[in-house]
Amino acid sequence: MLIRFRLNGETREIDVAPMRRLLDVLRLDLRLTGTKEGCGEGECGSCTVLLDGDAVNACMVVIGQCDGREITSVEGLGSEKHLAPIQRAFVTDGGAQCGICTPGVLVAAESLLRRNAAPSDEQIREALAGNLCRCTGYERIVESVRVAAVERATLARSKTSNGSPASQRGTKSGAPQ
Amino acid sequence: MTIADLSSMLFDRVRDLSALCTRVGELSDEGIPFVLLAGGTDWMVEQEMREPLASDVFPTVIDVSQMGELRGIRLDGDILRIGAATRYLEMRRHPAVLERAPLLERMARDVGAIQIQARGTLGGNIATGSPAADGVAALAAFDALVVVKSRRGERHIPLSELQTGYKTSTRAPDEIIVAIEIYLPSRNATWFWRKVGTRKAQAISKVALAAIAEVQGGQVVRCGLGMASVAPVTALLPRTRELFLSTRLDAIDDFMIDKCVESDIQPITDVRSTGPYRLHVAKAVVREFARSLGAA
Repeated sequence: MLIRFRLNGETREIDVAPMRRLLDVLRLDLRLTGTKEGCGEGECGSCTVLLDGDAVNACMVVIGQCDGREITSVEGLGSEKHLAPIQRAFVTDGGAQCGICTPGVLVAAESLLRRNAAPSDEQIREALAGNLCRCTGYERIVESVRVAAVERATLARSKTSNGSPASQRGTKSGAPQ
Repeated sequence: MTIADLSSMLFDRVRDLSALCTRVGELSDEGIPFVLLAGGTDWMVEQEMREPLASDVFPTVIDVSQMGELRGIRLDGDILRIGAATRYLEMRRHPAVLERAPLLERMARDVGAIQIQARGTLGGNIATGSPAADGVAALAAFDALVVVKSRRGERHIPLSELQTGYKTSTRAPDEIIVAIEIYLPSRNATWFWRKVGTRKAQAISKVALAAIAEVQGGQVVRCGLGMASVAPVTALLPRTRELFLSTRLDAIDDFMIDKCVESDIQPITDVRSTGPYRLHVAKAVVREFARSLGAA
């Protein structure tokens, strides 16, 4: 079945069995291996992607249901040269350790920050409750999301005042004093 | 693990509800197994965990996740209508739910993590028929009506008449769950939600209680209760409900509540909890609800 969707901002058209999982199509057919498989049953969140802007588990979505939809995987958040604020914050503030949960956490956090520019710690924890991490104890993850929220706000302000994006470098230095 | 079966299954979409009724009717007539797939939060897990199927029993999967007639929330006077394929996340964001049925918003927050809320639906919760269903417990508290449709027409099934046993119901196999209709309680009604699970997020309930009550002059005049994971079906606690409706609040005490709860449910021990613990928690949450109303 021919399935057409937007993936990380680009239109894609693929001919695949419509009942295959979105997770497998991303990893095996489209070679986007940033999205990880953990439990395969919607429990751990490591396969989290955005479907029309909402965080979903790619292990529970069949590709046929993605026809005409908009998908963002971790590869769509930033690029190797220009990491997104949420990615930079995880690097600088220790949000990632072994890394298996990290892509899913990043995507879930991005989904939160797009709807809520200044989330409380409780809101961050609620938004990430579907993402299991066995390394960090979560404290550094919450801290990283907090830092990313501040940087996003700074970037948004400088875009408004300068009419152009702010520097892509630095995280904490961008925090308002 | 049998997700390999998935790629061999037929995937179908139909243009509207009328075509869906026809298609489901035909499949039923021909004895072909079929599945209406919405968020897949239960069904996809079942596929992952079950034994491989023989190829002649692969179901035809019909995607209903984007069907407009099964989606959306509408408030018409005191009737709240929620499309069966409306996602929990949409419920949480809808002004009518937030203002008139906050119990649903609170339940939806606990039903699973955000990724589950972004996919799961009340129609799916009802169709799966698990006695642990948080959504069905909440609907029970509202005495909701389940709107179903088939080639034979549409009918409304009161939630109290839907479930007949563990994962069995009075809904015919070709009757499609279209929507849920709730006759809303008054704006000053008390609502209560308590979910007890292994952890705060992503847990399946050991016990959950949804309850609403309208109180006038110290007397409960409308009451609805729905309890998850304490019986083969969503428990409606009829004797407990009768106690609330027949006795002035200042005359209701813990002893009376405990007696009623004990006669309403005989929870079992299973993988998630034990029978005695469930009964203990069930009594405790009903007492907490009673206290929130001003009982003794």
